[in-house]
Amino acid sequence: MDWLEDELKNALSRKEPGEGFDERVLAAARRRNVVAMPRRWMAAAAAVIVLAGAGEAYRWHRGQEAKEQVMLAMRITGHKLNLVQARIAGERQ
Amino acid sequence: MTIVRVVAAGCGLAALLWAQQFKFNLEHLAAKASDAVDVSLNKDMLQFAGKFLSDKDSDEAKAKAMISGLEGIYIKSFEFAKDGAWTQADLDQVRNQLKPPEWGRIVGVKSAEDNENVEVWVRHESGKVTGIAVLATEPRGFTVANIVGNVNLDSLANLGGQFGLPKMKATPAPAKK
Amino acid sequence: MVFSVAYHFLHDRDLAEEIAQDVFLSLHRNLGAVESPAHAAHWLRKVAVQRSIDAARRRTRRPQVALDDVAEPSERPSPGDPLLGDLLRKLIATLPESQRMAMVLRYQEDLDPSEIADVMGIPLGTVKSHIQRSLALLREKLARRGVGER
Repeated sequence: MDWLEDELKNALSRKEPGEGFDERVLAAARRRNVVAMPRRWMAAAAAVIVLAGAGEAYRWHRGQEAKEQVMLAMRITGHKLNLVQARIAGERQ
Repeated sequence: MTIVRVVAAGCGLAALLWAQQFKFNLEHLAAKASDAVDVSLNKDMLQFAGKFLSDKDSDEAKAKAMISGLEGIYIKSFEFAKDGAWTQADLDQVRNQLKPPEWGRIVGVKSAEDNENVEVWVRHESGKVTGIAVLATEPRGFTVANIVGNVNLDSLANLGGQFGLPKMKATPAPAKK
Repeated sequence: MVFSVAYHFLHDRDLAEEIAQDVFLSLHRNLGAVESPAHAAHWLRKVAVQRSIDAARRRTRRPQVALDDVAEPSERPSPGDPLLGDLLRKLIATLPESQRMAMVLRYQEDLDPSEIADVMGIPLGTVKSHIQRSLALLREKLARRGVGER
C-alpha cells in the first residue's frame, strides 16, 4: 500500500452518527410502527441494533428464538400434562 | 404444508446426559406431518434462553426458574391430516427406552372419547428426579417430550395452571408396563 | 459502519443519518432472516450501499462538493497532514457515484475488490478499474495542488 492509500485510509476512517442517534431510531421505529413484533421487543431490538451493532443484534435475535422455544416447550408439555390432570380429576369424581 | 421447525443446536452433551435423554428416531413422521414442532435445547441453550426470560413477566419468570436446573428440553410433536400416519411401533421404540429401574411410569390415561393417550414417565437416580418424559398420542397427533435434568416437581406443582401443568407427587408410583 | 458508508459517500451528515436509521429499521424488520453475525454485517453493508446510491440519485442537486468547489489550500498539505485528509475527502466526493462507493468500501471498510463487487453487485473487473482510475485521478489532482510522493 503506497502513501496515497495510507492517506485514504486515514481520510475515510469511520465516523459516528450524532449524539442521540439511538433515541432517534427508536422514535422513528415508534412513528412508523413497522415492526411485526411485540412492542416491548421493538424498543429493545432497536436499541441493541444501534448501540451494539449487528453481532449483538444477532445474539439478541437468537436469544428471543431460544426463549420462544422454551415457552413453546412449556406450553406443549403443560397441555399434555393438563389432559392427564383433568382425566384423573374426572375419574375421582 | 406448514412445518414449524424450532431447532437449537445441541453441542457438547456429556455421556451422562445420553443416559437421561432418549432417542426419538421419528424423522420419518416429519415427512408425513401437516404440522411439526421440533424443540431441541441443550443446557447451554437453556442458559442462553434464561438470559432473555423476563423476571417481570410472570409466565417467563416461572419458566426461568423451572429451566435453571435442567440439562435439556427435547420435544417432537406432529399433527397429521389423516389417521394412521403413525404406528404402534413408533410409540414402542420410544417407550422401550424408558426402562426400569431408572424410568418409571407415574401415570397413563386413555380417553375413549377422543382416542387420546397420555403417559408420564419419571427418571430417578440416587433418589433424585433426573428427567421426565411425556408420550401423547391421538389418531392425528404424536407428541414426545423429554425434559432432562433436575426437574423440581415442587416447582412444577407450583406452576400448576400457569402452563396447564398438573400437580404431581415427587415420588412416582411403581412402574407399570 | 452504516452511517460512515453513507456519510463518506454522500458528504451530508443529515442524509447519512436518515439512511442509517432506515437501514437499522430495515434490519429490525428482517431479523428473522439473519443467519449469523457475519451475515448481519454483510446485509447491513449491502443495504447501506444501496440506500446511499439511491439517495444520491434522488438528490436533486449535484453532490454537495463539486470539483470546482474544492478550493486550493492556502498551504500545500503534505502526507500525514490533517489538511490532506480533508482535501482527499472533498476530492472523493467529486468522483462519479460508482467509483466513489468503491473507494469508500475499499479504504473505509477495508474490503477487497471481490467483496466490493459482491456488495455493490457489479463485476470484479469494474471494481478494479474504478479503484485504479480513482487513484490515478486523485494523484493527478493532488499533483496539480503540489502534493505528491514523499
